[in-house]
Amino acid sequence: MYFSANNKLLRRIGHGRQVTAGVQGLVARIKSPDETISGVAWQSAGPYGAAAVKPLAALMAEDDFELARKARRGLYKVVRHVGRPGAAKERKAVERELITLLSSSPPQVRREVAWMLSEIGSTRAVMPLAALLTDKELRDDARCALTRHPTPGAVTALKSAFATAPEDFKYALADSLRQRGEKVEGYPSRKLVPAKQTSVTPPQRK
Amino acid sequence: MMSHTHRITRRSFLKSSVLVAGALNLAPGGVLGRNSQAGANDRLVVAHVGVGGMGMTHLTNMLRFQKEGKVRVAAICDADDNRLEAAVENASIGGASAIPYRDYRYVLERKDIDAVVIATPDHWHAVQTVHACETGKHVYVEKPASVTIREGQAMVAAARTHKVAVQVGAQARTAKGAWQTCRAIRNGIVGKVGRVSCWHYANPTDEKPVPDSPPPEGLDWDLWLGPLPWRPHNQRCQPGNFRWLMESGGGQIRDRGAHQFSTVLWCMNADHQTSFTVEAKGRAPAKGLWDCPIDMDVIYQFKNPNWTLEWGQPGIKVGQTEFGNVFWGDNGHLILEWEGGYRPANPEAVNFQLPPGGQEVYRTDEYEDFNMNHKADWFKSIRDGHLRPAVDIEIGHRTATLCNLGNLSYILGRKLVWNGEKQEVAGDEQANRLLSRPQRYPYVL
Repeated sequence: MYFSANNKLLRRIGHGRQVTAGVQGLVARIKSPDETISGVAWQSAGPYGAAAVKPLAALMAEDDFELARKARRGLYKVVRHVGRPGAAKERKAVERELITLLSSSPPQVRREVAWMLSEIGSTRAVMPLAALLTDKELRDDARCALTRHPTPGAVTALKSAFATAPEDFKYALADSLRQRGEKVEGYPSRKLVPAKQTSVTPPQRK
Repeated sequence: MMSHTHRITRRSFLKSSVLVAGALNLAPGGVLGRNSQAGANDRLVVAHVGVGGMGMTHLTNMLRFQKEGKVRVAAICDADDNRLEAAVENASIGGASAIPYRDYRYVLERKDIDAVVIATPDHWHAVQTVHACETGKHVYVEKPASVTIREGQAMVAAARTHKVAVQVGAQARTAKGAWQTCRAIRNGIVGKVGRVSCWHYANPTDEKPVPDSPPPEGLDWDLWLGPLPWRPHNQRCQPGNFRWLMESGGGQIRDRGAHQFSTVLWCMNADHQTSFTVEAKGRAPAKGLWDCPIDMDVIYQFKNPNWTLEWGQPGIKVGQTEFGNVFWGDNGHLILEWEGGYRPANPEAVNFQLPPGGQEVYRTDEYEDFNMNHKADWFKSIRDGHLRPAVDIEIGHRTATLCNLGNLSYILGRKLVWNGEKQEVAGDEQANRLLSRPQRYPYVL
């Protein structure tokens, strides 16, 4: 019942120009001020696949926070649609588009894309993700994405980053490497080191 | 009317209490419960981490235990100074000199504290529980146990490795209503049960979305986020609204579902049935920050024995109250309103007489108030040294697995085949990657 709209779209789209026109229509509907249109639109984004990645990413950078949110959720629909078993070709196409976003998009888009690639990314995504490990704003998201990324290449990338990372980031990288079964000398976990003081004082006993 | 089993249980409890109290008076130092060793002080020294809605109920309970001489409330912690101040004030009025903390890790550093009660937002449960176990403290953690499967596994492992008792706050398994229903179902009141359906009202929608904004004064936003990926503060995230975000709350199915599923598994004697298929469909909100589905239908299929569990949001309301469960058997059906704690059992279950040779079901029976009783059960597991309370973390993890995989199936828009032995989804790489969520440093397992 809930996915009947998607099924109709699947039939309607699927080839060349029709897809492009379909994506333009999708974007227009997501931008609609009528929530009954925009709300349905982003939820139906999954089957649009790779063609929808860049247009949706562009909307994610909009100042209108509700529009940006709908676009982000629409893009996640794409990622989860192509992540299904048996959709390797669609997944590869979406991955390719996502990777291109890592080098040129605003930080809020790159952050989300890193997480998206952690869900579906192959070895192709490793080096572009690793490049974010030197970006102070995005490095922890990239570290998380690579920690989840199942390939040996992700471990290699984390090791390489560890060798050159600033001291304050080495602890986090060491934790990721240990999670992946690697032995790391030094940089013990700081997870149990308290750091936040309260200004609340105990009430005076009467 | 109290059952024979209850009388035995209470007598046994009183007897063991007297023996333990005597032993405590002889013991030289240390504290009750640390790694199952009785100490000189017969009061468990307790800290509260998270004192919002349910956290305050826990604190109120614990102050009553303190008056009864069973515990001492020594510390209170919250990432929000406003809540913290109110809680320490309440504790003071209740007779406790609790030290306030913002950062729970100060609490864990204290050697004098035996146990922690964790009632933070769901995304914190696993990390704080694992850390508490690692520092040798017993844990009472709110349900749902976890927000990912891997977190749940880590919680079980930590409890076993460090030999502490971890009770999950799904209190129905120590509540009279659920117990009466459980023994009636297990002993065939409706015959063989092939289907259990749950109904529950919908998730709310964020009708008034607002832009991100600085956190309110007193709230440590970094600490509130903890393991979650960094993002700016939004008023619609907290305090209680974390429930309606998939990453921090997971909606009704992970909130009340954790109660209802725990009760259902108990009644069905199905804690061992860890493999199943799950298929979820839902209606996402059209706008706003909250992303949990408004309506949701989830079907779980279990094998050997075969039965179906249905989560209906709203589902088909069979009973009288806002949410509940129906056990559909060969010979009729039995309704359990809510989860069997805050509402009494159906009269048929209350009046059910155990047949000759029937299977009795144990529960701790120290307090009429099931919130108190659930904590008493936790204390008992520590005192007796078996460290397996009624909703031991392994049961809590299995229950949360149902909730989390229901949400995962909804997110992915496809049916999942869950292999409980291997703890993985069959043939779905993306689903398996989403069984964990890497955590923001240093708020890691």
